[in-house]
This record gives sequence, C-alpha cells and structure tokens, in this order.
Amino acid sequence: MAKSPKQKLQAKNVHVVFGGIKALTGVTLTLNAGDILGLIGPNGAGKTTLVNVLSGFQKPKPGTIELDGRDVSDLSPRKMAQAGIGRSFQAARLFRKLTVLENLTVAGLGIGLSRKAATSQARDILDWIGYRHGHDRQCDSLPYSDERRISIARALALQPSFTLLDEPASGMNEQECELLMETITGIPKNFGCGVMLIEHNMQVIMGVCHRIHVLDGGRSLAEGSPEEVRNDPNVLRAYLGDRASQKNAVI
Amino acid sequence: MAYFIQVLIDAVALGSLYALVALAIGLVFGVMKLINFAQADYLTVGAYSLVIPTAAATPSMMFGGLPWALMIFCVVLSVTVLALITERVAFRPLRNTDPTTLLISSFAVSYFLQSLIIMFHGGRPKSVSIGAALTRPIDIFGLRVGGVQFLTMTVALLLLIVLVLFLKRTSIGIQLRAAAEDFSMARLLGVAANRVIAIAFAISGILGGVISLLFVIQTGTLDIRMGIMPTVYAFFATVIGGIGSLPGAVLGGYIVGILSVFLQAYLPEEMRPFRDAGVFTIVILILLVRPQGLIVTSAAKERV
Amino acid sequence: MRIFERLFPVLALVVPLAGVVWTIDQFGSAGVERVSTEALIRLVFAIGLYIFAGNSGIVSFGHMTFCAIAAYATAWQTCCAMLKPITMSGLPAFIRDNTFPLLPAALTSIGLAGVVAFTSGLILMRLSSLSASISTLALMFILNVIYSNWTTVTMGSSTIVGLPVYVTIWIALGCAALVIVIAYLYQVSRWGLMLRATREDEVAAQASGTSLYWSRLIAFTLSGFVAGLAGVLFAHFMGTVSIANFFLNHTFLIVAMLVIGGMQSLAGAVVGVTFISVVIELFRRAEVGFSVGSMQMSIPAGSQELILAGIMLLILIFRKAGIMGGKELRWPWSVRDDGTVAGVGQVRLARSANCHR
Ligand SMILES: Nc1ncnc2c1ncn2[C@@H]1O[C@H](COP(=O)(O)OP(=O)(O)OP(=O)(O)O)[C@@H](O)[C@H]1O
Ligand SMILES: [Mg+2]
Repeated sequence: MAKSPKQKLQAKNVHVVFGGIKALTGVTLTLNAGDILGLIGPNGAGKTTLVNVLSGFQKPKPGTIELDGRDVSDLSPRKMAQAGIGRSFQAARLFRKLTVLENLTVAGLGIGLSRKAATSQARDILDWIGYRHGHDRQCDSLPYSDERRISIARALALQPSFTLLDEPASGMNEQECELLMETITGIPKNFGCGVMLIEHNMQVIMGVCHRIHVLDGGRSLAEGSPEEVRNDPNVLRAYLGDRASQKNAVI
Repeated sequence: MAYFIQVLIDAVALGSLYALVALAIGLVFGVMKLINFAQADYLTVGAYSLVIPTAAATPSMMFGGLPWALMIFCVVLSVTVLALITERVAFRPLRNTDPTTLLISSFAVSYFLQSLIIMFHGGRPKSVSIGAALTRPIDIFGLRVGGVQFLTMTVALLLLIVLVLFLKRTSIGIQLRAAAEDFSMARLLGVAANRVIAIAFAISGILGGVISLLFVIQTGTLDIRMGIMPTVYAFFATVIGGIGSLPGAVLGGYIVGILSVFLQAYLPEEMRPFRDAGVFTIVILILLVRPQGLIVTSAAKERV
Repeated sequence: MRIFERLFPVLALVVPLAGVVWTIDQFGSAGVERVSTEALIRLVFAIGLYIFAGNSGIVSFGHMTFCAIAAYATAWQTCCAMLKPITMSGLPAFIRDNTFPLLPAALTSIGLAGVVAFTSGLILMRLSSLSASISTLALMFILNVIYSNWTTVTMGSSTIVGLPVYVTIWIALGCAALVIVIAYLYQVSRWGLMLRATREDEVAAQASGTSLYWSRLIAFTLSGFVAGLAGVLFAHFMGTVSIANFFLNHTFLIVAMLVIGGMQSLAGAVVGVTFISVVIELFRRAEVGFSVGSMQMSIPAGSQELILAGIMLLILIFRKAGIMGGKELRWPWSVRDDGTVAGVGQVRLARSANCHR
C-alpha cells in the first residue's frame, strides 16, 4: 500500500478526565516527521494517556488531534494505526501465542500488505533491529528486553509516519539501553518517521531526543531542547519535589 | 384495565425474580469475573431437595414435608452449602484465569450437577405440591390477583430491598460492591478476597434457594431443566444491563421480566409459544444499539 | 519437501484418521462403524466450532443453531415425499410438493446455515467477547423456541423421519478431512492470523490495524458453514431430525471435547473428539453391563456425563490449554528458527534497575 508519509501530528488543547481524575488538562504539542520528541514527567503525569489519545484509544474531551491539519480525533485505534500512527505499549502487549515473526506480520497485514510482503517486511525489520535469530519463537517465552524490542518492531511494521514508544527501556540493563538508543536514533533515518519517546531513564531521553516535552499532573510544564529542559527550574521542582524548590528558594 | 393491572403485577413479580437472579450472577461476576452457569443448578438442586431421591414421578417429601419455616431454612441452607462447595472445589483453583475459561468451567459444573441430579432422581419431571393454600386468588382493592403472583412479587421485592440495603449499608456489602467495581483495587485496600468471594457465592446460594421454592409453588413440578430458563434470562439481563454493573443487572432483570410477561399477555394467541424467542430477539436488538449494555462501567472497559 | 512440511499438520491428522477408518471398515463390527461415523460427524462440527472459538478465543454456545438450520433445511428438501404435504403443510409449495436431489439439497442447506451465521454475526460480533459468548446462547434459545413451536413447518418437537440415509463412514471421513484442510488453510491465512492476534490481545491487535469485528465475523461465518455441513451429515446419517438433538446437551459434549483436546489448535480439536468419543463409548458399554469373570457388572446410568464433566473440570484446572496445549503437530525435523541462541546473556528481568539515573 503506497501511503503518503504525513508531516505533522498535533494534539491541540487536549483534556481527559477519568472519574474525578484530571489525567490531561489543556495539553498541546506537535510532533514533526523526522523528529524525536521526548515526553517525560513523574508517574501518573498523563504520558500514557496522551499516547492513548494520539493513537485513538482515548477520545479527548474537549480537544482535537490533527494529522497534517486533518482532524482525526474521532478515528478508531485501527484507523489511526492505518493512518500512520504506530505505538508500543508500556506492558509490551505482544501476541503471546504467536511467533515473533507473526507478531510483526499482523501489523503488516493490518495496513493491507499481502501475506508475502508482510512477512518479508517483518524479517527486514527484525534484522534491522538486531533480532536476527528466533523469528519462529513463540512470544510467551521471550526475555523481557526482547519483548520490548519486538514491540517497537511491531509498531514499525505499520510503516508509520509517527511512532509512539511508551517506556521502551524499562527493564533493560545498561548495555541494552545503549543498543536501544542506537535503534531509536535510527528510526527517523531509516523509516522517515517522527518518534515520540516516553522514558523515565534520563540518559536515554537526553541521549536521543531533539526536543523534550514535560508533563506534570496532566499539564504541560515545559517544552524545549534537552539543554533548556534540563535547566528549567519548574521541571527540577516537579522531578525532585519540594527539596528542589526549597533549594531553589535558598539560592 | 383490571387485566392490565394483573399483567403489571405479573410483570413486576417476574421482573423482580429475574432481577434477583441477575444480581446473584452480577455479584459473582463482580468478584471473580465468572458468569456462573451453575446458578441454574443451584435453583434446580434447591427444588429437588424438597423430595426424597427416587425415580418416582410423584415422590415423597424430604424437606418439603417439614413445617414452613424449617423447610425454607433447610432448602436455603443446602443450596448455599452447595454454592460454597462449587466455589471451593471448582472455581477457586481457577480464580485467576480469564473470564472465558471460567465461563466454560461453570458450564462444566452445571452439567456435572445436572448429571448428579439425574443419577439420584431420574431424568423425568415430577410433580410436587407445596403451598397449595397460596395458589388461591386474593382480593386487593377489588382486584383478584393470583396468590402465587402476589407472593412472588412480595418475596422478590422484599429480598431485593434487603439485598440492596445490605449492599449499601453494611460494611461487608460495601466491600462487596467495591470489589465488584474494581477487584484488584479493593484487594489493595484490604478487602479479603476469599471472604468476599465466599459471601458472593453464599448470596447466590440463598437467592437460588428462595427462588427455587417460589418456582415450585408456582408450577408444582420438578424438572432437571427448571433452573436454566431463569438463569439464561438473568444472563441476558446482566448483558443488556451492562456486564459488571449491579444496578444494570437489576434493571436488565426487570426489562426481560416485564418484556416476557407483556409479550405473553398481548401477543396473539398463536404467537405466544414464541414468547421467549421474542424476548431474546429484543435483547439482541438492544445490544445492537448499545453493545456495551445500558449502564457502562469503567470496570468493563479494558485499561490500555 | 517444503510443501510436505507445510502440510504436515494436516497430514498428521488426516492420515491416522483414514488409517483408523480403514481398519474399522475392514475388521470392525457394524456397531463400531456406526459409533465411529457419528464421532467423525461430531469432529466436523467440532472443527467448525474451533474455526471460530479456537482462533478468536470466544467460546460459542450457539453453534448448534447452524447445525439445526442445515439439518432441517435438508430434511425439508429430501424427506418423505408422501407425508410432507400433511406433516409439514406450512412449507412453501415448491418445497412441500417436490423432492430435491441430495447434493443440491445439502449445498443449499449448508449455504443457509452460513447465511444465518453471517447475519447473526453482523450483530453479535459487535459485542465484547464475553457478551458475544453469552449472546450466542440467546441465538440457540431463539432457534430452539421457534423450531419447537413452528409445528406446520418443523413438526414442532416431534421427530422428522424418513430422510435418505447416505452418510457412510467414508463420506464422514471425507468431510472431516475436507474441513480439517479448510480450517488449516483458514488459520494460516491472513484473516486467521489477524483473528489469532485479536485473541491474544485485543488492544494490541487494534493498534496493529486489525478489525476485531471483521476478523471475527469472517470466522463466525465460515464456522457457520462448517456447522451446517455437520448438520446435513447428522440428518442423513440418522435419517431423522429432531430439535431436541440440537440443544444444550450436544453443545456441552462438543465444547467439552474441544476444551479437553485443547481449544486453541486444530490438533486439539481432533484429539479431543477422538479421546472423548472413545471414553464415552467405553462408559456407554459399562452402563449397559459387562462381565468380570462370572460376575455381571454395570455402572449407574448417568456416570458417563458425570465423568465427562469431571474430566473437563480437571483439565481446566490442571491443564488449561488441553491435551495438545494449543500446539499443532509439527514435522519433527524441520529447520525452524527457534533461536535459542538469540540474546543469550542479556536476560534481565529486574525492572529498570540500573537504567535509572
Ligand atoms: N482508564 C483509566 N481509568 C481511570 N484512571 C486512569 C485511567 N488511565 C489512567 N488513569 C489515571 O490517569 C492518571 C495519568 O495516568 P497515565 O497512565 O497517563 O500516567 P503516566 O504518566 O503514563 O504514568 P507512568 O509513568 O506511571 O506510566 C493517573 O492518575 C492514572 O491513575
Ligand atoms: Mg505510563
């Protein structure tokens, strides 16, 4: 399927409320093709919720999602996937009784590739991501870090214009993190898509992101280059809590 | 007009019955994601406990021969014990599996119990008469109302009110509702899983016992399939009410009960045998409009 | 060689079945042959159910509906030319007054079952998986109520007799082999793969561009056709059709067979049906009575069902995936890339231990 790559994914003034909990309040952000945007924030900041909104699993109320200027807020998750938004999940969510190769093939089929094309694309992506053996292995017996990699690979198999990765590095050791950073850096180059990366690991975030967006308590706290964000007093306060603000106060 | 009011009383009676069964199913579903098919057999076992196990078509009484209060007590107790045993033996080992496996296992438990009844009582229907005095019509405000309908309505409404009060007012009831809303959260907050689940099963046993008595008084027959229809009705009640919602279960129970009675009353004579098909078709049509049921709970939605 | 390997999961099921059937045909008694034929027809039905339930993870308790629809449809077309105008006077004239050839009758009946499956699936497949499971039950109840009361067309709860009996053990085997092949081709097709993905994880499947609705509906329809075939076979094996045969008991039996063999693989369906058919037959004989030495013994009636339910519960508790564990039979010498070398030494489960600053 010849898809025209999209240039811009935007969330405009997005609100999400669960019961009484304001998960997102007035979040606006833009993800450009070729960019790697870090999305950080303390636990419960609303990062996953934002990814859910951007991938069609959660309807913003109010708020809009635009893909190259077209309002796609009402699309189903499946249509979003087909429109070029791939995502991974915080809990990997592989198809556990299917093989590694089949996991990626499903995504290929999902965008309308033929069985053959989907399979060969799946092999290519697995090779690219460095998973060269064990294509026929069933996913319920994979080591944790492989699960993470496969779930990124599966998102890529959608030939997405934008890839949203929810904490891909969790559970990885130093060495695996290094490899992962290489992979993520390579995604825009090889697949031409924009990446949104949620991570708690600052090494990974600072190492690969072009820009960083900070959420706290469902609100946008700051956005800027890694340098700017690192030195933003609000961000420090959010991350280090009162200790930091007291220190700031002292200074 | 008088006919309409009689129909209405019937409808409320049956609706309350289905609401009760649906509530029992909803409670158990709430605490362990089990749609309990064996609820049908709790009813059946309750009814059969009235008589001595023989193959005879008009068997002599067992609990059915006892004085009223004692009879009710014995029947309810034995069904409750049965419900607890099924929980302990069959469902507890499966507690953490998926709802589909649980549903299948309850299907197996149901079949097991049914075969057990056939083994002891034979497969043919039997006739028993308890509470013959109650079947006489009674006058209320100049309306002649079937005694059984009146009894059913009163008992079912009373039970429903008691149960709702129990769920809303007592601490155990509140724990039960909390668990039904969000089981893992409730456990984090210190609700003891074993106890809550046991209580849910005990309630479904108690309700099973009482309802089985009402059915026997109404029909005067025992049949190994007698529990199935009410239970299946209650299933659909929970589905159209919104799986996982207790008020939904009650609402659904009333909807299917009332539909059933009104179709029976107002369908043309030759169409009446098709009543159940009519109700189920309407159920499916309701689902067409609201696939998630009438009351959608957050628990029913999977968290992404 | 490669093609042989690809087809092995099918051949490994069909060839032994054929071997057994040949043996029975040569050496078995008429009784054994009858029982085996019936088991093969059940296998057809079980595979029909498997196509939907196994691949989607949604059990259907309502597939007997499609079986019944096809059985009645073929009965209407082929049975009792003389009696039909009297016993089933409500049939449309061209059916009532004519008798149709067997093959077209079979095909239209199967077609009807499939169409009904598709139509009901249009609604049911929109529901969540648990609601869908329960609603398939509604389907069966609706059909049961209608067919037991629609006296002028279905003869109500009485039995329609006098259908041509043409289903031999070989025909049953042929159909079983055919549906095994169909089920296999389906499950390795794109739609089968997508459906299995939805079974594993609905959310991730949607995020991978899969439609829950369509992937389920296709399987539901296909399995409706296959259940219809089973219905036609039942009808022309027994020579009679009765609505009571298409209700909860039979449903339970088949679901039990699938669960015990392993719901999630074709091999599981075959193994389950075979195993349980043998167990049931042994118990049936034991209920009739057998002699140990000079003593005549028998076990109480109903133990068959009790044992079946018992086995099913034990399997569910101790081996949820069934005898076959959800696996297909595989060519033992294939060069599958199970990659036990991949990622060695990188296995770390500690959650982001040293990944944090
Ligand atoms: N489906 C839901 N129902 C109710 N509350 C929810 C739901 N999803 C998220 N929340 C709540 O919304 C808030 C934001 O959650 P979210 O998962 O987006 O945070 P997060 O930034 O991804 O956190 P973490 O770093 O722990 O993954 C939390 O308070 C969470 O409890
Ligand atoms: Mg998160």
